[in-house]
Amino acid sequence: MDTRPTGPPDEPEEPTNRPPSMHRVRNWLKRPYAKGIVGLTILLGILLAPMAWLILIPMRVTGAPASEIMGDIQETVFVFTLVSVPIVAFVYAVLVYSLLKWRKYKGDKVPEDESPAIRTNTIGVVMWTVMSSVLAFFLVVWGLIELAQITNNSYGTISADQQPGDEQSVIVNVTGQQWVWTFEYPQHDGVTTDVLYLPKDRPVYFNVTSKDVIHNFWLVELGVKIDANPGAITQTGVTPNKLGSFNLRCAELCGMHHAYMETSVEVVEGETFESVMREMGGGRTA
Amino acid sequence: MKRALIAVLTVLVGVGIVVGVGTFNSWNQREPAPITAKPAGTIQTPQGEMPHATLELDVYPNSSSTVPPPRTESRFQANQLSGQPFYHPSTSIKVPANTAITITFTQYDGGGQIYNPYFAEVHGSMDGTMKVNGKTVSKIDQNEVGHTFTVHDYPESNEPEFFLSVPLKMNKANAKTDKQGYPVDPQTIEVTFITGDPGKYVWNCEFPCGDYYQEFGGPMQTRGWMAGTFEVVA
Amino acid sequence: MSTETIAQTSTVFGEEVPQPRQHGKPGGVMRRLNMGTGLIGGIGLAAIAGFVANALVPSGASTVTFAPAAPDIVYLAILVGWAIGFSAGIGAFVGPIRWFLGRDLTHADAEYMAGKDLGVKRYFKYTTDHKVVGVQYLVVFAFILGLGGLLAMLIRTELGVTWGEVFSPAFYNSLIGTHGIAMIIAMIISVMGPIANFIMPIMIGARDMAFPRLNALSLWLVVIAAVCLVSTLFTGGIQDGWSVYQPLASQGPPAMLGYQMTIIVFAISTGVASVNLMVTALTMRAKGMTWSRTPILVYGVFGAALMGLYAFPFFQYSQIMALSDRIWNTSFFNPLQGGSVWLYENLFWLLGHPEVYVIIIPGTVVLLEIMPVFMRKPLFSFNFAVAGIVGVVALSGLVWAHHMYMTGWAPAANYPFMLSTEMISIPVGFLVLVVIGTMWRGLVWTRLPIMAVYAVIFNKMIGGVTGIYLSDVPVDQYMHGSMFVVAHFHYMLMGAGLFGAMAGLAFYFPKMTGRVLDERTASIGFWTAFTGFQITFMAMFVAGLQGQPRRVLQFDSLFNVPNWISTIGAYIIGLGMLIFAGAVISSWISGDKSPSNPFGSKSLEWQTPTPVPLENFAVLPVVTERPYNYGVPDPYEKELQAADSDLHPEGVGSR
Repeated sequence: MDTRPTGPPDEPEEPTNRPPSMHRVRNWLKRPYAKGIVGLTILLGILLAPMAWLILIPMRVTGAPASEIMGDIQETVFVFTLVSVPIVAFVYAVLVYSLLKWRKYKGDKVPEDESPAIRTNTIGVVMWTVMSSVLAFFLVVWGLIELAQITNNSYGTISADQQPGDEQSVIVNVTGQQWVWTFEYPQHDGVTTDVLYLPKDRPVYFNVTSKDVIHNFWLVELGVKIDANPGAITQTGVTPNKLGSFNLRCAELCGMHHAYMETSVEVVEGETFESVMREMGGGRTA
Repeated sequence: MKRALIAVLTVLVGVGIVVGVGTFNSWNQREPAPITAKPAGTIQTPQGEMPHATLELDVYPNSSSTVPPPRTESRFQANQLSGQPFYHPSTSIKVPANTAITITFTQYDGGGQIYNPYFAEVHGSMDGTMKVNGKTVSKIDQNEVGHTFTVHDYPESNEPEFFLSVPLKMNKANAKTDKQGYPVDPQTIEVTFITGDPGKYVWNCEFPCGDYYQEFGGPMQTRGWMAGTFEVVA
Repeated sequence: MSTETIAQTSTVFGEEVPQPRQHGKPGGVMRRLNMGTGLIGGIGLAAIAGFVANALVPSGASTVTFAPAAPDIVYLAILVGWAIGFSAGIGAFVGPIRWFLGRDLTHADAEYMAGKDLGVKRYFKYTTDHKVVGVQYLVVFAFILGLGGLLAMLIRTELGVTWGEVFSPAFYNSLIGTHGIAMIIAMIISVMGPIANFIMPIMIGARDMAFPRLNALSLWLVVIAAVCLVSTLFTGGIQDGWSVYQPLASQGPPAMLGYQMTIIVFAISTGVASVNLMVTALTMRAKGMTWSRTPILVYGVFGAALMGLYAFPFFQYSQIMALSDRIWNTSFFNPLQGGSVWLYENLFWLLGHPEVYVIIIPGTVVLLEIMPVFMRKPLFSFNFAVAGIVGVVALSGLVWAHHMYMTGWAPAANYPFMLSTEMISIPVGFLVLVVIGTMWRGLVWTRLPIMAVYAVIFNKMIGGVTGIYLSDVPVDQYMHGSMFVVAHFHYMLMGAGLFGAMAGLAFYFPKMTGRVLDERTASIGFWTAFTGFQITFMAMFVAGLQGQPRRVLQFDSLFNVPNWISTIGAYIIGLGMLIFAGAVISSWISGDKSPSNPFGSKSLEWQTPTPVPLENFAVLPVVTERPYNYGVPDPYEKELQAADSDLHPEGVGSR
């Protein structure tokens, strides 16, 4: 009944420095399915790895990242994809190998019991636990460090009254309401607009609130997102580093015209920004 | 064979239900018949002489025997919206492209304080002003707003941007009213703006004149009443 | 409670058991009560309540927020009247009333209520037999899933027609809201309903569940809730997504009250069902079935029931508070009057997260039951499967605020929640390990249930990896509120959850219905749906990465192509699901009669005859072996032991 080989015995006599575990790995690799699964894992890993680059293409559909935050986000997506590829490749390799080589019975008749009754495999279990924990910890550490960086970049922990009102920075009070965004520039004589003007390479602080229901202030290409809550002011910030016309979309369902609660974000040079503000009746006063 | 038949029947019944429910609801929710701005010669604008078109819109506080309410999807919705304000005669508006348009609003409703004073100002008009009862102003008292007419973009980056917001002044609470309860001397607001290339937009009122929380429910969230479409056609 | 001298006995499985006094015919008033009387009671009391409410509320009344109070209060009264009237009409209150009057159930009464000798009529009554309840759950699940599917087709049609608006924006919002909550309810009951109720008691060698009348109650409460949900379609629609964030929900039409009633009733049902399932698993296992001899399905059902038990009350309370905000103008969630929007979000997500594990864990343990049968080998590392379930249950309550990273509620809290969310991938990984280990070197008997397992694992990996992106706060700063999130949770809840439930249904179909499932047609339907699923949601990932927000019916032409692809894929899913449903229906009606153990399973539930008799087992079994006793000794065993003895003369571990 059992025609499978039991594998060659260990190498005899010759004294060797090789650790015993390498024998076990080599012996294991001699099994017919071992090479297949390892090979499939590597093949699928190679096929899946380009996902890390492919996944960035739709994220860049309107151009390269327009702020350091967005750049960090895209880098994280890239790294997380690469890091997940081995485990996904291995799982898919087992699925594929099972379908290719271990399919045996069809039809209505209950088959004989012929599979090996493996109830546990200490090495496999330990390896999986260690690898998945290492992976999870890597993701956590990367994420925590990056979160601290981005919080720093968006000045998200600084409340409105502590924000520096110096020459360089720009403060925008964002008001979301059903279904229009309005922006007030307190440093520019309270000029209010419906299009968001931002200066390039200067830090911008947003104080976001809502007049009625929860909205979400999403500067898509700049990677900025924060809820606009009624009765509260939330803060975030960004330093745009690319010129252009970008999108602000509402990302929290806020009623009938939620889909139309969009406006454009114009990132212009610093001097252009100041002249635009002046034109609208608000010279820099703070 | 019976099994295959039942399976096929299930598929057909399922597809039929989807198509039926979808078609009925789509038809039932069709936008009101559009009104189009009428050509009216030419006009002088800051951009030179341009073709001119005009349009008239009324805003009523409630329906009456002389002014029927807009179409509703069901008796339930008609019940919910009875006694609610609406734009008349239609909320689907079509205007020609690259033209100066003058809209004359006749506002029959009361009002109050608007939440965001930005919308008590006129934005997007030809010269930043509007005419309220014949007087040229750029904003009205934020405590005396009746409704607004605010046009804003579709989420479409291919089309030109357009933003227009006109506050419509309210009638005072003690104004003289006729048999139907409408003021005999309603507010008239006239605004002129210039359209660009063709595009599709939406508009809604930004004054809380509806139901429920913040009075932004009910007719405020119903197309055909206090919200609609605005199309700039070639 | 009766203290009079007991004068009669009944023969119960060969023993003479003393009985209380029999009042009238067996079943008493339950003989006259069924779904018809329930409908009469429900509609009748709803009408009365509606009229009374209408008369009491002065016309033109409004609360301070200018809400037209009358329609809201009348609608609420109608729904409450419906819930109480239907329960009374179908006999839910008979038990407590009998207890109050001191009339205990006799054995004949219990047999009547379990549907003995009632034929097909027992499916339309308040029947306590767990097998009947399981089948009733299956039908209710199918109906709610169908409703959700219909709405999904309409949603995708709107999103596919990018050059215009098919439906009005308000209606589109109610499409997505109703679709969401209908699918969530359907998925919660998908395995916990039919399979946990029908199969689990037999699997543990019991005659019924611990609380049979509560079992019937939990089912009929779902029916009541489903009617409340359907009523929202006619009262303006749930226009606030399935999460019904406040304060937007206070702006919606009266249908929002329908949502709140649906959830309030449904939460009672899940609470009752959870207690029932947990007590059954704890106390009613057969003699000899120690915890290490208990099949993994029991562990999974227990874990899911535990999570449901602690999480659903949050949902219920949040909806009661929302109802109160709307009707009585309280300000729990109204910030302009001192309330907090974040309070609602927290309460909601305290349920919202464990709830997805309530969906996924039963779907996964069903796969773990299927695999040993079709690979003819035992479950790999049973202990790790249990550890995975325990880990998920323990951590599920600690991750909820990852849905609130972007709310600005507590930016400092984002760090610990990111940690706990990444951590929960480890116990979930244990379950994937068990699946892969069971698949390892197993010779496959390619029937539909096991082929579906491949589909589910494929989807689960994609769902899991995309979940990792979302768990990272900075990445979530881009992806929250975009279609990427929608694609991710569809991969988990539908790709792994629904397809897993379909695998379980295909597996247990012969035992539950007594018929053989037409696997050829069902497979065509399943794989069509699977193909459509990949097309739909892969394209949706692309749209999300490009920046399409969720819950929008119009969007930038940038997103047109992915949406067209998704819509075509969705139609393919619809077609596939209809074919699958057709196979199920046609096999149920006119399929071949099934043998009692068509798959050669060694589990207890397959050792009963088909159809399963009322008492399940003539003699309650005694369990003496571990579960999943399939397979032959591993031929590599000797080599491994030889290698081990080289390194460690005393041998490493035991196999």
